[in-house]
Amino acid sequence: MDVKTLSRITKWMESTDLEEITWKNGGEKISLKVNNSPESHSKFSSTIEPVASPSIGIFRFARPGKAHNLKEGMAVKKGAELGVVEVAKDFRPVLSPISGCLKIISVEDGKIVEYGQPLFFIEPR
Amino acid sequence: MFKKILIANRGEIAIRVMRTLKEMGIKSVAVYSEADRSCLHVREADEAVCIGPAIAKESYLNISAIISAAKVTGSEAIHPGYGFLSENPVFSAACAENGIVFIGPSPKAIEMLGHKSSARKIAVKGGIPVTPGTRDCVTKDFLKEAEQIGFPIMIKAAAGGGGKGIRIVREKGQLDHEFHMASSEARSAFNNGDVYFEKYIENPRHVEVQFARDSKGAAVAFPERDCSIQRRHQKLVEESPSPAVSQKLRAKLEEAAISLADTADYVGVGTVEFLMDREKNFYFMEVNTRLQVEHPVTETITRTDLVREQILIAAGEKLSLSRARASAFDGHAIEYRINAEDFSKNFAPSVGRIEEWIAPGGPGIRLDTHMYQGYKLPIYYDSMLAKLIVWGSDRAAAIARSRRALSEFKVSGISTTINLHKMIVESPEFQAGTVDTGFMERLLK
Repeated sequence: MDVKTLSRITKWMESTDLEEITWKNGGEKISLKVNNSPESHSKFSSTIEPVASPSIGIFRFARPGKAHNLKEGMAVKKGAELGVVEVAKDFRPVLSPISGCLKIISVEDGKIVEYGQPLFFIEPR
Repeated sequence: MFKKILIANRGEIAIRVMRTLKEMGIKSVAVYSEADRSCLHVREADEAVCIGPAIAKESYLNISAIISAAKVTGSEAIHPGYGFLSENPVFSAACAENGIVFIGPSPKAIEMLGHKSSARKIAVKGGIPVTPGTRDCVTKDFLKEAEQIGFPIMIKAAAGGGGKGIRIVREKGQLDHEFHMASSEARSAFNNGDVYFEKYIENPRHVEVQFARDSKGAAVAFPERDCSIQRRHQKLVEESPSPAVSQKLRAKLEEAAISLADTADYVGVGTVEFLMDREKNFYFMEVNTRLQVEHPVTETITRTDLVREQILIAAGEKLSLSRARASAFDGHAIEYRINAEDFSKNFAPSVGRIEEWIAPGGPGIRLDTHMYQGYKLPIYYDSMLAKLIVWGSDRAAAIARSRRALSEFKVSGISTTINLHKMIVESPEFQAGTVDTGFMERLLK
């Protein structure tokens, strides 16, 4: 693929919601990633990572009959279950995406949460 | 009456439903995907909840997320709009299991009328004409069976659907060859070589009748809509009444729709679609067990609110109108579907930001849309931007007003089908009211 075509594709991608595109032709393979996020007006940057709710539903720190010991400031491991979201009698686990320090708990037990809502913030270690 | 209703849909139809809810004093709950945060239906609702990622399968088609959203918001009923879960009996049943009213017919009715063969059986039982054909699969005597129907015929795969595996046979001499071809094609595509024959109606008109039936068994039917202007089975322009239907034929069509609703013991609002040949014979095609995209043309000429009737029926109340009132109409209405498509490039979908949106207005204009200046179209959902509905005291007045409204409509940033509609309005065939389902192909040639 030539540069002109590449730049045309990139330009077109910027006008869409697409973030990533992969093009294959025989042995040739091209992957493009576009940063579509709006320009930031502040120099603030943070490495702290939000943990998003996997579903709409009711948040519980522990499954029924179980206790939990989650506290701000504690260490969590990647893949650890931080709680569950109850959706239509089903429990969807909320898993820590990284290992680090549990900086902020931004949800309360029994609260309604939306899909994608940040429930925790973890500082990577 | 309900106090709060969740709308399991997005865009213009979600807004359409909310408008009625507001007028009825019912609170609305919107659901949305991550790609729809800036969609207008989220802003118009009293409450809104994010139910999943952009991909519809995990948001607007996610039954457990939607049921959960209804429960956590305390919604008593769900309006499904059209598309998505509106004709899904599993969803309708899941609502009932969770004590939520589904605004639409029962799961049984959706299932019965959703399958072509069982719907056809109900039509036959209700005395509604169906296209002549061998409803069961053809046997070794297929030549005789074809002659009984009369050429041209269609050969259809029993296990097929969506127009796949259909062959048209115009004369007896081709039948043997085409039959074996169709059968072997069906075997390789569907693992089932069974085929059946149906009369082929060349370039028919697509005429449909809206009906409503409440839980007490009272049923009404509205004047027919003509949706013959289609491209690849996608409706583009719909009007009511049909320029090809006389008052006498109209009464017959309405009678057929009511008979079908009664036979199926249907509770809700629905549409029965017919094919009409040049001799004005009409044949049952299918039933849509939901609100349709083109419902505003009916609302416009009959001065009714079909969403309100849906809600009344779902709440167990009586229809608000009599049979005579539903069939009475005033003037003529035409709907134009404005899609984000570049029709000069084979209707390629157009994406991007709406830089300019100047909507038509004035007397006799209704615009159902979720567009606004600055809105960025997500790529995940269908390409319909707006429905322009034009009313006139008669068909000629509606066409003259359409020409005026389309000239006022200015959109930039994306390609739309506005100019295509201008072409349609100027075509002599459309103006004469003689179009059939082959019209778009002739226009674009």
